[in-house]
Amino acid sequence: MGKGGRHAYAALSLLAAGALVLTGCSSGGSKGSDNDKQDKENAQRQQAGISFGDAKDSTGPAAELPGAKPGGTITVLQRDSFAHLDPGQIYVSDEMALSQLIHRGLTAYKATSDDGKKHEVVGDLATDSGTTTDGGKTWKYTLKDGIKWADGSPITAKDVRQTFERLFAPFISNGPTYIQQWLANTPGTEYRKLLPDGPYKGKHLPDSVLETPDDKTILFKFKSAKPDLPYALAMAGYSVVSAAKDTKVKYDKSPMTSGPYKISEFKSGKTMTLVKNTNWDPKTDAVRHQYVDQFNIEFNKQFEDSTKAILDDSGANATAISFSNQVDAGNLTKVLADAALKNRTVSGYQPYVGQMNINLSQPEMQDKTVREAIAYALPITPFVRAFGGTDAMEVAGGLISPTVSGYDPKFDPFGKKAKPAGDPAKAKELLKKAGKTGLKLTFGYINTPEGQQYSTAMAAGLEKAGFDVQRQEIPAETYYDQVSKVKNNYDIFHTAWGADWPSASTVIPPLYDGRQIQDGSSNYSHINDPKVNADIDKANTITDPIKAAEAWNKINEYIVKDVVSNIPTAYYKQTQIAGSKIGGLAYDDVIGGVDPRRLFVK
Amino acid sequence: MTSPIDIEGGGTSVVVDGDQQPKSKPEEAKQLEGRSPGQLMWIRFKRDRTGVISAYVVIFFFVVGLAAPLIAKLYGKDPYTVFADERPELFDSAGVPLQPNGGISGEFWFGLEPGNGYDVFTKLLYGIRNSLMISLAVTVATVLTGIVLGVAAGYLGGKPDQLISRVIDFLLAFPSQLFFIASMPVVVSLFVSPRDETPVYVRVVALIAVQWVLGWMSLARILRGTTLALREREFIEAAKVSGASPVRIIRREILPNVVTPILVQSTYMLPNFVTAEAGLSFLGVGIVEPTPDWGQMFSKASTELVMQNDITYMFFPGISMIIFIVAFNLLGDSVRDAFDPKTAR
Repeated sequence: MGKGGRHAYAALSLLAAGALVLTGCSSGGSKGSDNDKQDKENAQRQQAGISFGDAKDSTGPAAELPGAKPGGTITVLQRDSFAHLDPGQIYVSDEMALSQLIHRGLTAYKATSDDGKKHEVVGDLATDSGTTTDGGKTWKYTLKDGIKWADGSPITAKDVRQTFERLFAPFISNGPTYIQQWLANTPGTEYRKLLPDGPYKGKHLPDSVLETPDDKTILFKFKSAKPDLPYALAMAGYSVVSAAKDTKVKYDKSPMTSGPYKISEFKSGKTMTLVKNTNWDPKTDAVRHQYVDQFNIEFNKQFEDSTKAILDDSGANATAISFSNQVDAGNLTKVLADAALKNRTVSGYQPYVGQMNINLSQPEMQDKTVREAIAYALPITPFVRAFGGTDAMEVAGGLISPTVSGYDPKFDPFGKKAKPAGDPAKAKELLKKAGKTGLKLTFGYINTPEGQQYSTAMAAGLEKAGFDVQRQEIPAETYYDQVSKVKNNYDIFHTAWGADWPSASTVIPPLYDGRQIQDGSSNYSHINDPKVNADIDKANTITDPIKAAEAWNKINEYIVKDVVSNIPTAYYKQTQIAGSKIGGLAYDDVIGGVDPRRLFVK
Repeated sequence: MTSPIDIEGGGTSVVVDGDQQPKSKPEEAKQLEGRSPGQLMWIRFKRDRTGVISAYVVIFFFVVGLAAPLIAKLYGKDPYTVFADERPELFDSAGVPLQPNGGISGEFWFGLEPGNGYDVFTKLLYGIRNSLMISLAVTVATVLTGIVLGVAAGYLGGKPDQLISRVIDFLLAFPSQLFFIASMPVVVSLFVSPRDETPVYVRVVALIAVQWVLGWMSLARILRGTTLALREREFIEAAKVSGASPVRIIRREILPNVVTPILVQSTYMLPNFVTAEAGLSFLGVGIVEPTPDWGQMFSKASTELVMQNDITYMFFPGISMIIFIVAFNLLGDSVRDAFDPKTAR
């Protein structure tokens, strides 16, 4: 999933002048925290591998949490209103968090440790995570007994067929496209030709692609092996849609739900109320709980607002939380320094990995020595600082996130972990060797307060190595459109990318496959290396998740060390906080935030 | 030159002076005969203690601005060094100085800026320098435009007056702050080449141009009014009858008589331009990092990072700007009083 301008860490305050009178002198910065170690342990558990669970693992109810009790109301403070409620349109993280409560899919991630850090893929509506007999070309799913929609009608294979067929209809434009492309066996947006109008004009996917022989059985049939299907089906975007209640475009505003909660009221941009769904049977669900009576979701709460409200901790604020907002950069140091407050926080990795792209289409960037000089010279510390320090960003060695299988913490070819401020001496030497001292380097940066801050310091670091850096601002709203144009003027620019599921198959092919370079594609650095392309094809066919992870990591190492087209900058982290009366608080690495399914009121 | 104000101003002042100190300095009475209005103004100004102190403060700021590179050289630092990368031991990972009060020490007199860790002392010096240079340029440009258009409109009358007055009305009706914000990026983008960074001078020129276009009207209006009144006076009539050309009349008869409003107005305008320039940079459309600027330091000071962790930072741009603006406004009052002591306040 690409990373747009959705994260604004610091905001301007026009009340600054008042504070001058009210506050005395300041006390200086903090010495950092011990969160680092814990985060890394969590991530390592994560990347140790996610297994596919069997029927026993997939059987509900979910294990009771210690100390949990039913009842109570939780206030949820969110920054952005939910633009989409139709599962087929859900692809952003805050909507994904909501859909954990209201939608269900064929598979789901089950937290297998009590802190919610270790996972396996289990069957959600299906009895298991899927069975295949031919190495991943054909997958069979059987629906559980007793699964119902919120209106009491049963969920059948007909609904599942509808769910996938409607994804080909033109109005579904925001969700993930993996399974559609696999079913149609085409890259890009060609898949829509398979069923141009969706299921709405009487046409259906042929049995050679998707077969539903009876009310309980679903068969996916792919042309080539798709070992990642159980992961993909667990995405919120592939949650089931009711065939009887499919109102097409209108479904996005009032969907039929199947999870433990249903929407009782939604005022877009203001509030949303979730109440218990009485037709949800805990015995059919291995991953969700239904402790809280009601969720009151309030929108338009900036990070500072939600943090302030939760820190206040009185009245309704004591049972307040945010699914997606993090502690704002300004309050982060204060919160983590206070033991009582720190107890109410959870921290973890977000799925994003930041990287500096070197535009290989630019003639001057063809020289590998120059690219190595950039890699050595580029300071990462400005980036870490701009987002709030090591509690918000961790210096990266490779392009694979700690939350993804195959992550190797020791991989660091340019010594960024030891010298995060860059190695200008070595870079200078390399640049001299290439005979390019004083080379003009156009650096496109995103025009946000953070972007301005880190780009100036990064430019200063590159200039120490002998580059002539020309910074060019790019408006935040159109940043990704501009840098994803094949013909752009920038030599270097920064982007971030997050895995859709904990496998690098959702990272390496979209970013580094040279055959898909076109306007708008996510191959920002225009890398088109025959070895990388061939290795991607090979890795895509490996069915053993552990071996596949190794293969992906090899490609990652080759790109960073030998092609030097992308310089990893940082792994995104975040800290979230909850009111003192919230129980069951855990940071879920797969959701990339607080796990809303296990919350209760103490 | 025959100026009624000469006679009036000079005459009154002589009497007043004489009345106040008739015995202490009787020998001065002779010298008083030859005083020009400028000298009289100077004498009155020197007696105004507030005005003199303000003048010293203002001069101090200008000297500091002019000598910024020299001071920075003696001090041994420049405002572009990213100390958060050069001296990482002084900062935490978010770029907040570890020492209390924003890292003030014998080495860094005013501390270090949270974020990239620029040296606050040199940044403030250069910020004052850049802001004052821009504001001074805007003031000079607006005063010249105001004189040319205002005096022309007042003296010529008729069609030219109509035209200039309507232009003034039109521009005065503009919401200037909004116009600044909207037009700055447009003006800047007119000059940008695709491969290069927007050079600092383009931003400076754009800032000056935008403020100039919307800044000259008030002075032009005042000068038009004054000129309109002067035009009907006898000495102008006399000059006309004696065959003086319009250019000569404006230069020799009118301009010397509008020096007072020009000087008074420009001392009021300059601090306004300083705050307007700071406002634009605060909003991110003026001077941007890493070029030091007064207003941009305010915008840095108002970020959550600085507000929560290093409020001391705010004091340096804040207090220096308050002192400068107050001093300059007091100076403006004193200048006006010195020129025109009869005006009641």
